[in-house]
Amino acid sequence: MKLNKGGDKMLSVYWFAILIIAAGAVFAMVYIFYNSPYDIREIEAELLINQIADCVSYAGRFRTDLVYEGKFSEDFKNNILKECHLNFKSSEWESEQYYVELNFYKVEELSNPPFKMSMGNSNWKAYCAIQEDKEEKKLAKCVEKSFYSLDYADNQYIVKILASVGKGEKNVKM
Amino acid sequence: MNQKEKRLNKRGIILMENVIFIVLNILFISILALFIYKQGNGAIVLEQSYAKNIALLIDSAKPVSELRLNMEDAMDLAEKNGVDREQVVKIENNIITVKLNKDSGYQYSFFNDVDATAYPDIFPNKNYIIKINGYK
Repeated sequence: MKLNKGGDKMLSVYWFAILIIAAGAVFAMVYIFYNSPYDIREIEAELLINQIADCVSYAGRFRTDLVYEGKFSEDFKNNILKECHLNFKSSEWESEQYYVELNFYKVEELSNPPFKMSMGNSNWKAYCAIQEDKEEKKLAKCVEKSFYSLDYADNQYIVKILASVGKGEKNVKM
Repeated sequence: MNQKEKRLNKRGIILMENVIFIVLNILFISILALFIYKQGNGAIVLEQSYAKNIALLIDSAKPVSELRLNMEDAMDLAEKNGVDREQVVKIENNIITVKLNKDSGYQYSFFNDVDATAYPDIFPNKNYIIKINGYK
């Protein structure tokens, strides 16, 4: 009987040791989970691409002030932020935290785009190239999408949009 | 002490040990559950979550539109911490500030160049209204 009682006590000690280890693991997991910020940069980049796509093309056709008689407008290119109602400047950040690049390819020739435009902080573009093989959370988030559109002369184009969002400090634990 | 009394006394000790063991276990699990609940509903987590949610809502919205956001948990916490309902969400230029504690707050910016305003709903009063008035 004495041995049995000692065994019970030992079991309690082990039981509490297991509980403490389990609690430690739960505390650590919860702490790590809630201390890491929510990363919304990918959604932001997708929304940015959608807004630009809606801006340059409507119902499958380019705006006439962007492409007219097969020619792309330089004015539109220079004022794209205003034309697409975008504001990349913020007092929250010292530099712009977004970069967007649009490449317009003719369907017949997909290697060389006849027209390009970009906006925002071009420093973020370099991070996209680095992450082609493996994604690095601490670097900028890059998203690329493409769509098909016609101009009013029925010329066919593929538009590739690359969006890159910085904002690392607010979305990733540094 | 006769044989019968000895046996009864021993049973009492065993029962007491078991009760203490169970109470300690329950206490332990309760503390753990409370910790997880507190972490998930803390001001810092909610501020960040709502600020980012609102930024994404504004980025995906087109003028003129009105967005109604249920912020019951945040409004309760703000009330508990003595923060005025009107001060919970602020939009200035293209920055959203969510404040659920007197000495904290979280800011996040959006890229959609719209004139947006935020104010608490009258009924139900735990909602917040985000109004997209037009492009700047």
